[in-house]
Amino acid sequence: MKPLPSTSSKTPVKFRMPTSENLVPIRLDIEVGGQRFKDAFTWNISDPDSEVSVFAKRTQKDLKLPLAFATQIAQSIQTQQTEFRSYKGQEMLTGEKIVPIKLDLRVNRTLIKDQFLWDLNNFDSDPEEFSKTFCNDLGIEDPEVGPAVAFAIREQLYEIAIQSVATARESRNAKKGRRGEYSSISRSTGAALDLMKLFSNRYSGVRKRKEWDVFEPMVDMLSNEEVEKWRDLEEA
Amino acid sequence: MASLEPPAAVTPPSSKPNLLPLPSPTIITPSAAALAAVAPTTSSSSPATLSVATPLPTPSDAELVHIPSYSRWFSLDGISECEIRCLPEFFDSRSPSRNPRAYKYIRDSIIKQFRRNPSSKITFTEVRKTLAADVISIRRVFDFLDAWGLINYSPAALSKPLKWEEKDSKTSQHAADSPAGPSSDSTPPVRETTKWLCGSCKSVCSIACFASDKCDLTLCARCFVRGNYRVGLSSSDFRRVEISDEMKTDWTEKETMQLLEAVMHYGDDWKKVAQHVGGRSEKDCITHFIKLPMGEKLAGSAEFGSGINKLNQMKDDNSSNSSSSGKRLCLSPLADASNPIMAQAAFLSALAGTAVAEAAAQAAVTAVSKVGHGEANAHFRSLHGVQGLQNASITSNGSNKLKSSEEARSGVNTMPEEKVNVEEELRTVAMVQMKHIQEKIIHFEEIDSQIDKEWKQMEQMRDILFYDQLNLLKHERSIRKTGQQAAEGTRAG
Repeated sequence: MKPLPSTSSKTPVKFRMPTSENLVPIRLDIEVGGQRFKDAFTWNISDPDSEVSVFAKRTQKDLKLPLAFATQIAQSIQTQQTEFRSYKGQEMLTGEKIVPIKLDLRVNRTLIKDQFLWDLNNFDSDPEEFSKTFCNDLGIEDPEVGPAVAFAIREQLYEIAIQSVATARESRNAKKGRRGEYSSISRSTGAALDLMKLFSNRYSGVRKRKEWDVFEPMVDMLSNEEVEKWRDLEEA
Repeated sequence: MASLEPPAAVTPPSSKPNLLPLPSPTIITPSAAALAAVAPTTSSSSPATLSVATPLPTPSDAELVHIPSYSRWFSLDGISECEIRCLPEFFDSRSPSRNPRAYKYIRDSIIKQFRRNPSSKITFTEVRKTLAADVISIRRVFDFLDAWGLINYSPAALSKPLKWEEKDSKTSQHAADSPAGPSSDSTPPVRETTKWLCGSCKSVCSIACFASDKCDLTLCARCFVRGNYRVGLSSSDFRRVEISDEMKTDWTEKETMQLLEAVMHYGDDWKKVAQHVGGRSEKDCITHFIKLPMGEKLAGSAEFGSGINKLNQMKDDNSSNSSSSGKRLCLSPLADASNPIMAQAAFLSALAGTAVAEAAAQAAVTAVSKVGHGEANAHFRSLHGVQGLQNASITSNGSNKLKSSEEARSGVNTMPEEKVNVEEELRTVAMVQMKHIQEKIIHFEEIDSQIDKEWKQMEQMRDILFYDQLNLLKHERSIRKTGQQAAEGTRAG
């Protein structure tokens, strides 16, 4: 695997997605005239802005949606882009931060539930690669699952990155001692674990048996009625 | 980001532009695993089986996938120069997510997805939903493949019914399954079997194409004229391929008759002609009219005499170039000819008028008739007015049939000279015409200046007259006054 960076101290780092490329997760949920369009994909933030309208038009044409969708899609993408860019230049704290990432999504007929640990400090990490291996190993036939999994991971990483920006700001303003930093971090990112704590119980890296179920991926195929049920649940 | 190796292996991604194909197992397995049907067979087979022309290894359909001849360089095994040229952002290591491996992954996935169902068009949105990469990269690769005809090349127009469209129309539960496979179309309707795309400007060729067998290039007429072909080719390597609109909608006899009637009545007013024919645009009418065989066209026109039948024969021999339409200046028939020289010649001969053109034609054709090469006649027939050609070409055609082989040989040698002669004469014709026009202009200018002078003189005279009148009036008044005074004086005194 790729080597971990040597800096594991709490030095602040410029904001970016903690993955190997700076891809932003974009989620669309647009409703125009009774038609609802939901979508989620990854966007490369370094692409020129002209791509936004081109993409919106293309999507609207391919899916044969009414024209109003194109402008809405473009707008939504642009707002999310600017939001991401507003974080740029700000600092975020990194450190030995292992966070659990949870997957709980339904893609067409496949239901996925999973939980695993992800190292935030590894800026070479790649959700796409992970999702590809995930689908291969679990023999998922639906090709739409892969990108959805990658997107979910990215979204959660994005959330965490935003939070770490907030904590960095907090800690800078508070000007407390080291202890203060620790507490604020652990407060805001509640589920973040420290490596030391994790391995403090045993001298091996093996997980406790009762936690196995939690961390095992579960993939389920739904029948048509269940799909309808889920859809109604989600839209309600 | 794309990864083509299993997690354990440590093959460094190569970002150099000259990418050698990666070792076979690493290419095929991960992307093939996504297509469950293909996985077991291809993981063990060599990459050679995934070449273009072979049928898909799926058990259900052994359809052949068509790609245009200008995309023959493509292969699933590696990345060719063409792709590097067209999509440089993947190969210049500027952005970490855009590297050759990622490109190959996206490209292969798109192609495989399309080939799973080659009869229906695949849309960008379908593709991007199934690929774990950023959507802009996917779009670029998709557009590239689409432009080069590697996907969506001549399939049926029908696409898979959309999820939400199905939901509205059907009430049964099977609506949810429909995006997985198209229900309706089985065989694509053969509407446009040949869709020619120009290799350089990537536009659809409509009127005529030039195809070169030497290196499998197709160019539209514009690019051919401009010389947009590669260095190794010359214009002689191309042969002309006609793709007229008439292939799509043939003109029935009735329509042709209507057209001829209308032309006879309305002459150059193509708007009315189009109206008369009904169902044909002006452009269609004009193009069809030009392409009509000579005999028919001239049947109504009284100017052209007896040689019509013979001309008809010769016209049939010569299919590509149509003759000029004599006096119709607005219809320069060879204007859309791919050869710019021919277009110029047609235009000039139309400008010059039949008399001048005839004289020039006679001179040129008599020189040619000694040789009597059939092809030379074809050229001249189209260049000059019809009248001059009748006699000359009949005789030369006759002699041609007698001693064809020898003259063919000698004809080839003298062909370029004749062309030069013809060009020179056209030039002199043009020069003479220009001088003529110049003199006229000078003449008119002189007249203009004369008129100006006379006008000025007139104005002067008018002024003088005015002054005279004024003076007269003054005198009159003063005299009257003195007269009155005198009268008063005498009365008083």
